[in-house]
Amino acid sequence: MPVILAVDDSPSMRKMVSFTLTGAGYQVVEAVDGQDAYEKAQTQSFDLVLTDQNMPRLDGLGLTRKLREHPQFKTTPILVLTTESSDLMKQAGRAAGATGWLVKPFDPARLLDVIKKVIK
Amino acid sequence: MADAHQESSGSGDSFDLTQFYQIFFEEAGENLDLMEQMLLNLNLETADDEELNGIFRCAHSVKGGAATFGFSDVAELTHQMESLLDRLRRHELQPNALMVDVLLESADASRGLLARHQAGETGEPPSSADLVRRISELASGATPAPTLAASAPAPAPAAPAVAPVAAVAAQPTEPVVKGARQLEIRMGPLERPEQADAVKELFRDIAGLGEIAVLPSDRADTRVFKVGTSSSNEDLLDLFAFHVSREHISIRDLGDETGVGAAPQPGHAAMAFADDPPPGTPIAPAPGYGFFEGAPGAPDAVKVTAEVAEPKGSAKVVAKPNAAQQSQPEAATIRVAISKVDQLINLVGELVITQAMLAQNSRSLDPAVSQQLLTGLADLDRNTRDLQESVMSIRMIPMSIVFSRFPRMLRDLASKLGKKVEFVTQGEATELDKGLVEKITDPLTHLVRNSCDHGIEMPEDRLKAGKPETGTITLSAAHQGGSIVIEVRDDGRGLSREKILGKARERGLDVSDQMSDGEVWQLIFAPGFSTAEVVTDVSGRGVGMDVVKRNIAALNGTVEIDSSEGYGMRVSVRLPLTLAIMDGMSVGVGEEVYILPLSSVVESFQVKDESVNTVGQGSRLVKVRDEYMPVIELEKVFQVPRFDFEKSSDIMVVVEAEGSRVALLVDELLGQQQVVVKNLETNYRKVPNVSGATILGDGKVALILDTSALVRRSRH
Repeated sequence: MPVILAVDDSPSMRKMVSFTLTGAGYQVVEAVDGQDAYEKAQTQSFDLVLTDQNMPRLDGLGLTRKLREHPQFKTTPILVLTTESSDLMKQAGRAAGATGWLVKPFDPARLLDVIKKVIK
Repeated sequence: MADAHQESSGSGDSFDLTQFYQIFFEEAGENLDLMEQMLLNLNLETADDEELNGIFRCAHSVKGGAATFGFSDVAELTHQMESLLDRLRRHELQPNALMVDVLLESADASRGLLARHQAGETGEPPSSADLVRRISELASGATPAPTLAASAPAPAPAAPAVAPVAAVAAQPTEPVVKGARQLEIRMGPLERPEQADAVKELFRDIAGLGEIAVLPSDRADTRVFKVGTSSSNEDLLDLFAFHVSREHISIRDLGDETGVGAAPQPGHAAMAFADDPPPGTPIAPAPGYGFFEGAPGAPDAVKVTAEVAEPKGSAKVVAKPNAAQQSQPEAATIRVAISKVDQLINLVGELVITQAMLAQNSRSLDPAVSQQLLTGLADLDRNTRDLQESVMSIRMIPMSIVFSRFPRMLRDLASKLGKKVEFVTQGEATELDKGLVEKITDPLTHLVRNSCDHGIEMPEDRLKAGKPETGTITLSAAHQGGSIVIEVRDDGRGLSREKILGKARERGLDVSDQMSDGEVWQLIFAPGFSTAEVVTDVSGRGVGMDVVKRNIAALNGTVEIDSSEGYGMRVSVRLPLTLAIMDGMSVGVGEEVYILPLSSVVESFQVKDESVNTVGQGSRLVKVRDEYMPVIELEKVFQVPRFDFEKSSDIMVVVEAEGSRVALLVDELLGQQQVVVKNLETNYRKVPNVSGATILGDGKVALILDTSALVRRSRH
């Protein structure tokens, strides 16, 4: 069963994401911000990281950069959820090593669509 | 791609988001509260990044959730707040009081909108258009003349009044740049941003190209323009390439944009982000998502198309959360229905009674024979007590819950009255029973309001009196023994003895100049008593202190006043920590057992006949250390039948309530114990002089005496 790390500082978003994903047969590990996610990534590997951008302590792109430094996360798909749609944001995402982005708000079906594309 | 999009929004409609509404409402409420608190604590001159980021995140989270769950009005308003806060945290704008006011108002308005959604109200929502306009004016950097009244500031006249927010820019009333297409063009990041300024001249020089206006930029190295033109993007890029290289230009069509937050339907095409990236940018456009070509983990183009064609069956959502998701980091707190906690407390109460019963029965056992049983009972005693304490602590919540509402209230009030007030809180972490917290909020609000309205003087009066211009109101809470003491202190004008006495005479109250200060201050608790010279719309209508006192007395609490004219006053409210359990002293009268609240017991002693004097109408007084106090014979009050005529009560227990003392005459003192208070009114009916009942260890019911009522009784 693919394991997904869902990172969001908002409990309701976390809950919705993990509810959607577990319902679709994924296993979900939740993290409350980038730092928490990074610590969880030290002890476990994931098939996909789905992270919010704007979070306290460590933001989504910061998390992406740090994860990419580790060999076991070199090729892991990392999707950044963002409400910012500017090209700057996208370029920053690309530079940080993110796999792609998903604009908030999104609906659950779209999330599953996107995830299916990147999880083998 | 297009197919995938349609399909996903189709199945999205069937996915029920309502199950997450409640958690979103709570979370949004917490975020708005936090934001308000941080805004109030914000020092405008020295605001640091952490503070501004924190405030920004609150608005950001609410907006994200509101947009996801389809509350477009909330999303729109919080989007505007976020835009302003974003510019603040990037230090493109300096925070000012006007911004804080507007943000606070917007937080209130958001709460209102959320409450409507939560209640499921339909119909026309209250318009937040005015707030949206004011925020975007501030966000655009326009500085309307600072008016004291929070009324809408005059719209800024200049063209830059167009905010960098699509929703506002698209309003027809704005000075729209003419042309067939409305575009937002960003140039940057540039080493020399002045390069971009030359683009403006193109529009001046080339007839028919259209019009251009400068928009405020969120970055120093980036220029943002609003352009109205009928030329194609490609043509524009070719032209601009004279000055700025293509890679640094992005063009966004404003024509059908409604702003990210305003998207009414998550997953709808209008949702966001339908950017039109300039040619040459390696980022692929996508309906709300995208992958970076060649990025680790990204699917290749062929694969994407292939998988889109796949049947949608696997995306079906089963409403059964996986048990494996146990790693919830926020599990530090859980939300539980208060009724469950109350039931738990009730059950523990029964357990305490059963335990006490066993303990009492075991006393007749021979320790040598039943040693094991007795050890077990001793353990049970200790464990029951611990359990009871833990269970009671579930209901305890910190006073900060109450205190946090005052900074905002005082800020509004002080500015309304034209006063300068600093608010200080102490002991916010002090815990109190939730039931009490709810009931103490109104009286405290009244006291704090009084302090600001009547206590603190106008700034010029304070200066004249040699005091600092800014008054201080301190709200503190602390545990003292089994009670909590909450104090409202101010350094204002204090109470005037003369005015109070004058007012009392006017109202025909029985007063004299010889009364002690303490007695004079107690007069303001008389119904309809107010010494405020001006009745403001804030307080001073004469309904007040008596209600405060009555509410607090209903919680078994007391109110004391301390005042010094010209220097301020202090109101101390003393409350028991909880209403459900009480430390009591059990006393025997005849065959009956009564419980006295230990908090009101002062002392007890064996009475000598000569120290009791009978005065008129059979009233009796006892002299205790040069002080005379009324004697109340419980035997007579409750008409206790007495079979042993030889015996008479000879123990006196002095109790204090409402600032007076009385001596209760009882047969014997039985001991001190914690009792579980049972409401008599709900189980039977109101009984005079009795505040409740409890079940004793032997299963008998004992009445808990209402000492306040007994004291009042002695006055008549």
